Amino acid sequence: MTTPAARPLLSAAHSSERTSDDGAPPRQPRPPLSAPAVTPLVQRLPAADEAPNTAMPATKVDIRNVNFFYGKFQALHDISLPLYDRRVTAFIGPSGCGKSTLLRILNRIYELYPGQVATGEVYLDGANILTPGLDVNRLRAKIGMVFQKPTPFPMSIYDNVAFGIGLYEKLPKSELDDRVESAVRRAALWDEVKDKLRDSGLSLSGGQQQRLCIARAIAIEPEVLLLDEPASALDPISTQRIEELIAELKTDYCIAIVTHNMQQAARSSDYTAFLYLGELVEFDDTERIFTHPRERRTEDYITGRFG
Amino acid sequence: MPAEHIIKSYDEELARLNKMVVEMGGLAESQLADAIEAVVKRDSALAARVVEGDAPVDQLERDLDNLAIRLLALRQPMARDLREIFVALKIASDLERICDYAANVAKRSIALSQAPPVQLVHALPRMAQFALVLVKDVIDAYVEHDADKAIAVWTRDEELDEMYSSLFREFLTYMMEDPRNIGACTHLLFMAKNIERIGDHATNIAENLYYLVHGTPLTQARPKGDKSSLEVVAPNRVGSR
Repeated sequence: MTTPAARPLLSAAHSSERTSDDGAPPRQPRPPLSAPAVTPLVQRLPAADEAPNTAMPATKVDIRNVNFFYGKFQALHDISLPLYDRRVTAFIGPSGCGKSTLLRILNRIYELYPGQVATGEVYLDGANILTPGLDVNRLRAKIGMVFQKPTPFPMSIYDNVAFGIGLYEKLPKSELDDRVESAVRRAALWDEVKDKLRDSGLSLSGGQQQRLCIARAIAIEPEVLLLDEPASALDPISTQRIEELIAELKTDYCIAIVTHNMQQAARSSDYTAFLYLGELVEFDDTERIFTHPRERRTEDYITGRFG
Repeated sequence: MPAEHIIKSYDEELARLNKMVVEMGGLAESQLADAIEAVVKRDSALAARVVEGDAPVDQLERDLDNLAIRLLALRQPMARDLREIFVALKIASDLERICDYAANVAKRSIALSQAPPVQLVHALPRMAQFALVLVKDVIDAYVEHDADKAIAVWTRDEELDEMYSSLFREFLTYMMEDPRNIGACTHLLFMAKNIERIGDHATNIAENLYYLVHGTPLTQARPKGDKSSLEVVAPNRVGSR
């Protein structure tokens, strides 16, 4: 399959295809975005909240007073927290606490579904990405996402990775080759697939497929990587590979990971946010959260006392 | 104790670990009490029982270590649970040391009771009784997970140190007055030092207990009462007394 030419990711004409790397087709055709495609992504905020401190990592994403509604049901209540650049932030909490919902707000993927509304602000480098009419394509080029189940497209390994690039830029073949190789290398998959790039992505093992999805996500050179339980469907060895990969990738990206695996959150993140019933109970250094959290509810959850 | 774990057997294992620490604490108390009695009553048979009583303590510590390792490996404890296990291990090793010192005191009391009765022996039991109170209190504090009680023990150790310092000076004086006292006084000095060390282990336990409850270490410098290691004896001055 050839990669489609760069065109709006969510245009009506394109909506019946798999439109993003989540692998899930939208449930109903989306109306074209009302704003012109040239809407600048960046609308600078006042410089007041930019506090570059040498000791503290820079805030890449600033979530402020975010509420989220599935129709009438409010799934998130007034969530505020930062995601730091070149750091891993883990979202933990029992099922239904809103951690995946929060992740889905960050690249506005929820908009694919009717009746889902987010209020509040999410600043990416100081620009509010919840602004209506924002160019969602460009947003998603900056914020990549990987899902719980590996979602390779039914195409070759090479095309799986090149597909995303093709949505955003038109590159000469040799450059495209380079970009694919470097993404697959960064995803720690190259040695295993370099001799069979034309084989179907579906021929890979689950762990390899997940790394392929990570390669696809980083091939478009995003700035933020969202991982929604990226290892929960994988065996322990593949899980460790993914965790090693996360540790490697955080040198370049701001990473947010949703996980049910407490050990994984403790091992692979720098910061941890504990959500419960749609509220942010505690956000702190991962070490603090897992050694002596401030909140009783956090401690009860991480020590396995309620779920 | 906080709310129960979803997995019941986890709670049972943690409770068992707790019980083993308390059991070791009980043994440490009775070993020390018996050792003091052996000194006071010049009872070599009792002293021998204390020396023999050290082996079961060592065995208990090994069992506790195994259970703790098992918990760490199988439950992957976090936060309070992790501190509970980590601190149990540390306290157990302090209790084991306390029992060693008690056995040592008992052993020396056998030698001491073969010498003619010395009036010098009286100051030692008083110090030992005080150490016993510290051990008792810190074990009570552990049973109740009471950090305030632990701090009280931690502070009172200063007194024990002072007792040791004054005993040290006293024994030195006796030895200088009459060289025939040297044999007995050397044993007594070692016994006093052992008892002083028991107090230090009680404060270690108190510190660990504080960490268990609060999740942060007890960082202030502890008051120190023992200055005997800085003591210099001027023979002619003492001799001229």
